[in-house]
Amino acid sequence: MKNTLFNPFLRIAGTKALLIGLTLLLCSSVIAYYSRCHFDGAIDAHIGAITPMWFYPTESLIDWAILLLSFYTAGLICSTSNIRFIDIAGTIALARWPMIFVALLAFAPIPQPQDIHNISPSIIVLGFGILIFTIWMITLMYNAYSISCNIKGNKAIVSFIAAIVFAEIISKLIIIQIARHIHLNA
Amino acid sequence: MQKKLPFICPSCSATLQVQSLACTSCDTVVSGTFSLPVLSRLSDDEQLFILDFVKSSGSLKLMAEKLKLSYPSVRNRLDDIITQLNTLQTPEKK
Repeated sequence: MKNTLFNPFLRIAGTKALLIGLTLLLCSSVIAYYSRCHFDGAIDAHIGAITPMWFYPTESLIDWAILLLSFYTAGLICSTSNIRFIDIAGTIALARWPMIFVALLAFAPIPQPQDIHNISPSIIVLGFGILIFTIWMITLMYNAYSISCNIKGNKAIVSFIAAIVFAEIISKLIIIQIARHIHLNA
Repeated sequence: MQKKLPFICPSCSATLQVQSLACTSCDTVVSGTFSLPVLSRLSDDEQLFILDFVKSSGSLKLMAEKLKLSYPSVRNRLDDIITQLNTLQTPEKK
């Protein structure tokens, strides 16, 4: 049970994981469109902004693609094994499936806070819920990286943190540029 | 009870050597100093993995299907065994 939730990659990787992962990624994008939830960074989720429908899967695909390139590069540098691109692509896509729950959480009717001193408890509960699912996703991503690239211990932790921070910055910058382009054309 | 072949000296931790081999059919005993093969120093699980790997014609994909594991999981196991074999072989080279 623990492995199914946190490390399914012991049994699933490669093309099978990629197909399941991309299907779930598309599902989370559709749900996100209706709940107005944006995955505007590799490990980011925000609720509220209205954008065209195509922007939601684009955000998710950018997050996945940048994470994939970042982890693949880290794997090539740090691993001594013959790593396969398809394994990283599949496991990272599948590792993002908890974002479905984040998109569902965004349906919760939350009043917009007027100021920082007047935050309702429901916002705190929502934030906590999003945090839990994000931590679950990061744990899945770490296991995906560790198994796909055969990297363990401190080397795995340090290279994973570096790769995920890099992916977050780059994906955020790209998505901000696309969002600006939409607003300029609107 | 299945006996486990020891290859590390319990006293000084050096690698053990075989000193005599006996025929249980005619009681002939061959004496000398023989090194244990590197593969025999691996654990039972690791030896079984290598046997399965050879029987699968060295195909990690077939191994993954047989063991119901993902391809990278099987490859990582093989890489770990290769690392261990290299470590076991290192003192012999000296």
